[in-house]
Amino acid sequence: MVIRRLGRTGRIGKLAEGARGGEPATAASAGSTGPGRPAPAGPRVFGGGALAFGLLALAAGTGCWLLAGRAAFLQAAADSLLLLARITPLILAAMLVGGYAQTLIPRDKVARWLGGRSGWRGLALAAALGAVTPGGPFASFPLVYVLWRSGADLGTAIAYLTAWSVIGLHRLFIWEIPLLGTDLAILRYVVSLPLPFVAGLLARRIAARFPVPAPREEA
Amino acid sequence: MLIAALFLWLVLALLAIVAHRRPGRPHHAAAKLALVQAKPLALRLPLAILAAGFLAPIVPRELIAAWLGGASGLTGILVATGVGAILPGGPMVTFPIVILLFNAGAGTAQTVALLTAWSVLAAHRVLAFELPMMGGRFVLLRLAASLILPVLAGLAALPFAP
Repeated sequence: MVIRRLGRTGRIGKLAEGARGGEPATAASAGSTGPGRPAPAGPRVFGGGALAFGLLALAAGTGCWLLAGRAAFLQAAADSLLLLARITPLILAAMLVGGYAQTLIPRDKVARWLGGRSGWRGLALAAALGAVTPGGPFASFPLVYVLWRSGADLGTAIAYLTAWSVIGLHRLFIWEIPLLGTDLAILRYVVSLPLPFVAGLLARRIAARFPVPAPREEA
Repeated sequence: MLIAALFLWLVLALLAIVAHRRPGRPHHAAAKLALVQAKPLALRLPLAILAAGFLAPIVPRELIAAWLGGASGLTGILVATGVGAILPGGPMVTFPIVILLFNAGAGTAQTVALLTAWSVLAAHRVLAFELPMMGGRFVLLRLAASLILPVLAGLAALPFAP
């Protein structure tokens, strides 16, 4: 659903759609799945249904009532609702920021631009771009795929992915600051700043010894 | 938190102004993207937070403190890395669990390692996106280059952990 809507952004959207596990024909023509690879599973399976979350909450609530008593149950419910009321405006604002960023920044242009960089400059740019890429895996992987296929250095691609996952501003603002508090969130963020460089350099070293061939151009 | 919120609203305002000056004024497209992202959270996030809240009074605190507590040091960081690597699901599932563990006595450095492990090793993301899209060799290369990261982050956070 998500990616189907993103599909109108063109080539990358189409790639994403292929990876999402839509029609096999689309996936093959977009070159995102090779012939020997298993059919990709959508995130829906792993995200779990709302029903599962409901059952989990129900079971946890029952356990809490039985093991800790009525007072603890009510306290836990009140705390949860309070937390939720506090974080909802932040989460909504962060998602709007993500929506604007995805609308305003053309992803395939970014991939082409980043693809030509290498060395420390490439790593630094990849880390910075990864940090400001909003959205879930459906937003970041298509870019990496295009980068990789257009012959970019693998260290750059992996630095980008690592930055997106460990120093992503989007995640910091949607999840960590609201849910974990500023202190823990900022500490985690600051100690993670060097990680994309470490991963990028290590990946270059490893790839020099065990080359990872880029996917063949099929389209 | 207040400063973070103010910053966020400021960024949002700036982006909205930029979008307003673009041809076509893509406010609608941006809002639609945000809505698409928010929709799956609308019901699940409250339920996940509620579940974590109910579990908080009944989790075995001594066990968590012993394995992941501030005093557990490098061993705790390694345990946290293992736990983070196998945590299933996206942020909606993970963050309530992390809050639960943190409130039940997990140490700061250990929590940092756990979050980093979940972020870079992310079993669910590898299976759902990376493997089908990028292929096995790429995944292996990225994982090999990333295995050390949670431990590095945890060790870097150790001196700052209260």
